[in-house]
Amino acid sequence: MAMHYGSSLDLTFHALADGTRRSMIHALASGEVHSAGELGGRFRSAQPTISKHLKVLEQAGIVERKVEGRIHHFRLRRRALEQAGRWIVRHQAFWEGAADQLEVLLAEGSKR
Amino acid sequence: MIADSSYAEVRRNLPAPPEAVFAAFAEAELVRRWLTPLPEIGLTVLQFDFRIGGSYRFAYHVPGVTTVIVAGTYKVIEPPSKIVFSWVIEPPDEHAGIESEVSVAITPDGKGSELIIRHEELGRIDAIERHAAGWRGAVDQLSELLAKEELHGR
Repeated sequence: MAMHYGSSLDLTFHALADGTRRSMIHALASGEVHSAGELGGRFRSAQPTISKHLKVLEQAGIVERKVEGRIHHFRLRRRALEQAGRWIVRHQAFWEGAADQLEVLLAEGSKR
Repeated sequence: MIADSSYAEVRRNLPAPPEAVFAAFAEAELVRRWLTPLPEIGLTVLQFDFRIGGSYRFAYHVPGVTTVIVAGTYKVIEPPSKIVFSWVIEPPDEHAGIESEVSVAITPDGKGSELIIRHEELGRIDAIERHAAGWRGAVDQLSELLAKEELHGR
């Protein structure tokens, strides 16, 4: 279970590690764009590049593809992003809290 | 939620020179006093071998709830400015087994220091890419083989 969760999270973070792909997620989340063609128009990238990014997002379970004729429609699936979000939120909170305590410790040290 | 990045990052200006901040990561007795998310969460340092290739193992005691164990290896140690270590939570935990890496950068800032901690899920991103490359390589060889078979066999 943990391994499965870990590997799906790896795919998600791999997908999120690229700025263009994160922008594509935002564009899809905004609801203004839906198809591969519309995404291509927005990002001024060659269509094969857009397709490659979409494939990575699809493999990570972040987007879902629906083909209608020649048009590929994409829809965000929130679950994968929520999992990745939980990991980030947890570790962000950990280090924020630790940094607070480090600050206190160092301030004490400088008073002595 | 939509993640804006794929890592957690904390930047903090601290009232101590880089050497003191570095020591807070390098000495077990100091680590124990701050490296927890909340004062209520206690840290027991189970193992602490602060050198490149050395390992650490920390037990976090969340009162009345659970104990979470985190372990890792020091990959980069450059006093007083840089430390990189791996970070893996042990089972049972929601995030157990996930390879991640913490990079610590300490720079002088006036009378004190600026600390930047970046924690990223390494994933087996490398592994994923290696596997992908491996399969591409295998497929290339397969197609070469098939091409040869075609040449020789027919």
